[in-house]
Amino acid sequence: MAVTTETLISMKSIWKFFGGVAVLKGVDLDLRAGEVHSLLGGNGSGKSTLMKILSGAYVKDQGTVEAGGRPVVFAGPEAAHEQGIYLVPQEPKVFPNMSVFENVICGMRAKPAEMLGLVQKYAQDLGFEGSLSDEASSLSIANQQLVEIIRGLVRDARVLILDEPTSTLTFKEVKSLFETIRLLTSKGIGIFFISHRLNEILEISDRVSVLRDGVIVMTEPTSTLSSGDLVRAMLPAGEAKVELENAARGEVRADAPILFEASHLTGEGFTDVSFKVREGEVLGFAGVVGAGRTELAHAILGLDSFASGDVLMRGKKLTRRSPRACQDAGIGYLPEDRHLHGIFLDLPNVDTMTAGILSRLGKPFISRKREDEVAKKYIDELQIKVSSGAQVSRTLSGGNQQKVVISKILSAGPELVILDEPTRGVDAKARLDVYRLIRSLKKSGISVILISSDLSEVIQESDRILVMHNGRIEAEFAQGDFDLERITASAFGIAG
Amino acid sequence: MKFLMKLLKRREVVVVLLLAIVVAVVGAINPVFVRPATLIDIVTSALILILLGVGESFVIITRGIDVSVGAVMGFAAVCLGLAANAGLSVPLSFGIAVLAGLVAGAISGAGVAFFKVPPIIMTLGTMGVLRGLMPVMTGGSWIDAVPQTVKNFAAARFLGLPATIWITLAIVIVTTIVLRRVRVARYFYPVGDNEEGAFLLGIPVAATKFAAYVISGGFAGIAAIFFVSQLSFVPMQAGSGQEMRAVAASVLGGVSLAGGLGTPIAPLVGGVFLTAIDSILVFLKVPAFWNDAVAGAILLAVVLFDYKIRTMMENEKKKARMLGRASGGLSGGLASGRKPADAQEGLR
Repeated sequence: MAVTTETLISMKSIWKFFGGVAVLKGVDLDLRAGEVHSLLGGNGSGKSTLMKILSGAYVKDQGTVEAGGRPVVFAGPEAAHEQGIYLVPQEPKVFPNMSVFENVICGMRAKPAEMLGLVQKYAQDLGFEGSLSDEASSLSIANQQLVEIIRGLVRDARVLILDEPTSTLTFKEVKSLFETIRLLTSKGIGIFFISHRLNEILEISDRVSVLRDGVIVMTEPTSTLSSGDLVRAMLPAGEAKVELENAARGEVRADAPILFEASHLTGEGFTDVSFKVREGEVLGFAGVVGAGRTELAHAILGLDSFASGDVLMRGKKLTRRSPRACQDAGIGYLPEDRHLHGIFLDLPNVDTMTAGILSRLGKPFISRKREDEVAKKYIDELQIKVSSGAQVSRTLSGGNQQKVVISKILSAGPELVILDEPTRGVDAKARLDVYRLIRSLKKSGISVILISSDLSEVIQESDRILVMHNGRIEAEFAQGDFDLERITASAFGIAG
Repeated sequence: MKFLMKLLKRREVVVVLLLAIVVAVVGAINPVFVRPATLIDIVTSALILILLGVGESFVIITRGIDVSVGAVMGFAAVCLGLAANAGLSVPLSFGIAVLAGLVAGAISGAGVAFFKVPPIIMTLGTMGVLRGLMPVMTGGSWIDAVPQTVKNFAAARFLGLPATIWITLAIVIVTTIVLRRVRVARYFYPVGDNEEGAFLLGIPVAATKFAAYVISGGFAGIAAIFFVSQLSFVPMQAGSGQEMRAVAASVLGGVSLAGGLGTPIAPLVGGVFLTAIDSILVFLKVPAFWNDAVAGAILLAVVLFDYKIRTMMENEKKKARMLGRASGGLSGGLASGRKPADAQEGLR
């Protein structure tokens, strides 16, 4: 690759705040012509925000961006395009009802007839197989991505930002994308490459920068790096070795009966996933965002369809696929986004708590008394800070809303509870309450599947950990075998 | 053959064929129906609906909806009537009607595009305000005795047909060409198809939406000119209920409520079809009470059928993607699940 010393982009002390919280804290980053510069970081480290600033989708709060040596300010994406910067989003944003050609030139000022030759040339160069007059909705994700790259090229982009371009591609498609990248860099185009996959980063990039908590903690040439170096750079300082405190947690008997089994599940976002959960076991699911864990949970619950595989509860195959059927079978689910999927914000708490069990509260009329009893039981048990069950949920803190949703699940009397990121967006105190809850569930013989991107949390609360990467179970760790570094490595796709 | 298949995939063509069949059948039962005079009558009474539908289509293509077009037309008609009766010249009165429509559209558009009010709420609000203003402006009575000069517009004939038909045809053709050929006009499609994608490509999303509502209002203003000169008076309920028929005509002709799809030809064929149904029922001696029910049922049938086909195609594609991914992953990469053959024939 023809890396030169010409600097295409230079960002200096970039700051960005969201609602008073600093997401980027003085980031310096540059890009040279003809190089692939990878940007690596955990969830919420600020990668996407930084790239959105560079592509004009966000406006920075402080700092300078220089393109070609001159300071630039982007009011919107078009301004970034004019400076030759183009972002290829993680999910290609094509217009399904338009032809490939129209998709490419959409929004450009030039006459379509003048662009045709150029678009054809780039399509040919990049090995785009379809016809330019095909409707975009018929394209595979890989080809939609090519459309995005061609979009950038016909806009004379010298800087391409590829945001997790491989996360939705198959193995073969990744290979051909890498060929495309090498072709582009040989022509002097600089590429920011964002990925969670360390081996891909090591393969394709010339330099790697690691972003952690809104700060660049490392920028090094790839040739001097191993995947271990990258993993260590991403880990929070001083937390490389987390001491585990398992004293308060009971053990799972090795002969405890199997409660739940997933067998060879394949669907959109996950591939050939099999695992079992024993009675009273807490099974942790670790991995980065997009590893396929939420998709897997949704498929188990019947929210999404899957292509093949079985879900079994106590050895019995679940044939009816719906959240209702899952509840009847004894599976409860705490959704990742409680506002969107878990709680009735403008109704009294008690309404959310009993929403799933109305048929058990008297027929034909719901007994207000029994409803209040249910509410009181969980308010006491989970120590929910409310005046009464009648208080409207919107007025509660995040942690207490979370507990209201958990009450809803528990009131149905589940045997297995799937918790999807249960501590996201709750404060430290409520976080401890969630951990206490997991332990009390376990004590009463209820099994838990704990999906969390917070590795120390998974390690602390699980009896066993499965690590998902790119839609597959990458590794399994038994208790006593937990190791933050190895689990992180697996989550980023490096055999630990 | 390929061309024919492509043609058949377009909803406009399907509706036209359906209409031709219905006309032929009804004509066989009652030959009076297929007389040129009857057919011209049907088309003439469809013109207002077509004009409202053309404006409505711009909004629906951006994935919005404008339920105020009927009220905007009524409001513009009142403005026109008052202006003409006050002695203003005909062109000036007509210009006032269009201007009234544009202003009303600009209000809805500003709410939707810049203040992010959901389209149905915003346009319902505009509709309420305008409907309320109409009796205020006239003192609660009808406007009648519009000058003969205004009526002359609807009575004019050109090449054996009412001039209004030619004007409407010209409008549909011009807007279709503009939407296809003019760069800025093309923006309506990406904004409705994938708003975030449009933003990332630097398309002015808010301005495009705003423009759609202004255009919709403008067309309602033009429709008001037709309305007043055809009817020669302005009742207080002018345009009432027309908004739903305008939406129906557009959707029937192939404008997708999901945005990003459709042309002004859609309300042309959809509008003629809906109007023809009304007349057909008369010719078949079905009591006029049935008109709305039958029109509604036909719309439901066409839309449901269309929706079914679309979801079927979506599911096929999704399944192919999932399995393509699975096999690709397992064996180190096979096919990438590229396009089911049937989806290749793109429109446009």
